[in-house]
Amino acid sequence: MPDTQALVNDFLNKLKKRKIEGSQATARQTAELLRSVISQQRVSYTNQAGALIDAVKAVGEQLIAANPVELAVGNIVRRVLHIIREEDLSLTTAAIGGLNLSAVSDDETDDNRDDHPVLSAAAVAAAARSTLRPPSLQTLLEDSPASAAIPHTSSSGGDSEGKSKSADKNSKTRKLKHDVIEAVNELIQDIATCHEQIAEQAVEHIHQNEVILTLGSSRTVLEFLCAAKEKKRSFRVFVAEGAPRYQGHLLAKDLVSRGLQTTLITDSAVFAMISRVNMVIVGAHAVMANGGVIAPVGLNMVALAAQKHAVPFVVLAGSHKLCPLYPHNPEVLLNELRSPSELLDFGEFSDCLDFGSGTGSPLLHVVNPTFDYVPPKLVSLFITDTGGHNPSYMYRLIADYYSADDLVVQRRPTAGN
Amino acid sequence: MALCCCQVGLQYLSGDICGSNARCIAMLEAFKEAIKDYSTPPEKTLCRDLTAKISSYVSFLNECRPISISMGNAIRFLKSRISKLPITLSESEAKATLKSDIDRFINEKIIVADKVIVRHAVIKIRDGDVLLTYGSSSAVEMILLHAHELGKQFRVVIVDSRPKLEGKLLLRRLVEKGLSCTYTHINALSYIMQEATRVFLGASSVLSNGTVLSRVGTASVAMVAHAFRVPVLVCCEAYKFHERVQLDSICSNELGDPDAISKVPAREDIAYLDGWANKENLQLLNLTYDATPSDYVSMIITDYGMVPPTSVPVIVREYGREHLLT
Repeated sequence: MPDTQALVNDFLNKLKKRKIEGSQATARQTAELLRSVISQQRVSYTNQAGALIDAVKAVGEQLIAANPVELAVGNIVRRVLHIIREEDLSLTTAAIGGLNLSAVSDDETDDNRDDHPVLSAAAVAAAARSTLRPPSLQTLLEDSPASAAIPHTSSSGGDSEGKSKSADKNSKTRKLKHDVIEAVNELIQDIATCHEQIAEQAVEHIHQNEVILTLGSSRTVLEFLCAAKEKKRSFRVFVAEGAPRYQGHLLAKDLVSRGLQTTLITDSAVFAMISRVNMVIVGAHAVMANGGVIAPVGLNMVALAAQKHAVPFVVLAGSHKLCPLYPHNPEVLLNELRSPSELLDFGEFSDCLDFGSGTGSPLLHVVNPTFDYVPPKLVSLFITDTGGHNPSYMYRLIADYYSADDLVVQRRPTAGN
Repeated sequence: MALCCCQVGLQYLSGDICGSNARCIAMLEAFKEAIKDYSTPPEKTLCRDLTAKISSYVSFLNECRPISISMGNAIRFLKSRISKLPITLSESEAKATLKSDIDRFINEKIIVADKVIVRHAVIKIRDGDVLLTYGSSSAVEMILLHAHELGKQFRVVIVDSRPKLEGKLLLRRLVEKGLSCTYTHINALSYIMQEATRVFLGASSVLSNGTVLSRVGTASVAMVAHAFRVPVLVCCEAYKFHERVQLDSICSNELGDPDAISKVPAREDIAYLDGWANKENLQLLNLTYDATPSDYVSMIITDYGMVPPTSVPVIVREYGREHLLT
């Protein structure tokens, strides 16, 4: 599969050089890349889900390493892995139901043995239990190659009916891949339309004559505000310009061109203005499992000011931004320092720096971080494409999108692939 | 209109003189000059006529740029001096008295006060400290330079913000003197605050409820420092204290030039708002000051010593009368 490899390398380069702007574009391109990886992947008759998972993991690992700060990449890799597991599970349960085996599971045998639909439902439940099961210490330590990758497929079916199932697998072979690609297409569709689904909820949150504050520029925020405007709400928006990229100017221009009352302020005036603001609405870079937000730089300051004045701090995030990881020291580990030239021109200070002193360390440092971490206690509400949620609920919402087995996207070195 | 007052007014307008101490000194020097050239017209008394003259100068300066609270205090001082001149004094004697009064005010309330503040503040700087400051404050600059001369080992973080970018000028002056500096913009506060051990801020005025009026953005810096448990030390001469109270930054503020917001100098790539400035829906708001609530201020360093913000009304009450009377 030389084509895929070229695509992967191309994308890796783009990630490394930070050529892709925004987590939505990154998420979409990651999903598209993984779709082509899956479609190119040749699968054997046995353990094909395992083969797909391994292929996706192999690519995913490289992608995550290429830009570990862009959490959307890892999110999409995990989403695709989850999709493969889900599709495999649903095919397996369908197969079990169709075969009408007597000994599906030991504990279910005494009652309802001949009741066909109930039996299959029980099998589904049993299989579902095994997928939702968090990775126990036992499974982490065990290094049984096949069951480690996909523990439920072989265990829920049982080893006894392995031969009888193999006949059925021929039809299942192509179906799994087809289903997975269908589901990934749906995922890509979801990523593309998440703005609209979030924007639909705008009217519920923005009241007439309110004053909204936002910082920098986010497409989600723009669509959200415009959706409220289209529903005949009239309100005023304060836009803080968002140094050092000043994307707030762009947002202000877009809002004005859509007929919204807009006031552009400097970032330093946020604290002064927030006492007149009814709600802060901002976009996010990523939402962590604890409800903390990795956000464009400056938002922690805005969130603190909002808390001081009891102004609701609302974060809009598409589901591709929900990250199943818990942050540790995110201000440093999930941050990226950009070029000093955004703050000072190159050579601007060369005349007053004494290079002859020879202490080795330069006198002047310029710090230009990209992201801020907003802790969950400062966030009032998350609005995702599935609705509004508390920060304390995010871990559960996130658990719906990912399998616990995929939290660490790393191929097992001993698994022998 | 006295020429010297015109000059000062224009310098305020162009931004050549900024910072409340510099503005106050420039104004007093101009008044000194005006008093020197003054002669009482016939059938008028110096006391009445000079006060009216000064008032007209003040209203001119106010047109150029709104008078700051510290300047208001200085003007109050001068007017009270004029009104208390004994009628028996001849014109030249009266003028000489006023000149020496103004000189004394500049020296005592500003120059010596700053030296006292520096002496107090320097004991709060220890080796290994990371001192964060915002914008450019003359008092803070003197403290940093003095601590450096004393051989203290510390690092300075200068936080800056548009539209004035005054921190860049401070950065240049400090780097030239050999201080180790870190420069960043106000949005990176939460990132850089983790390194800081002290925050030194200047002030335009301290009101009697402990609210600190200062360059817009100071409140954010103090708030983030408070959230990260970093002590906030405000350096302010006592002549800037005022008995007024204020709760927010909106009620009484100064508006800067809106064009300074839409244009980002030295960044040609950001020209989204070219030709948009006169759109009806778009407003550009350029505040000059903001009000820092007293709960974010750990300590105010003044010429009367280091006091908590709750002691400001006491100082205003006990010493404010004295500096108007003496």
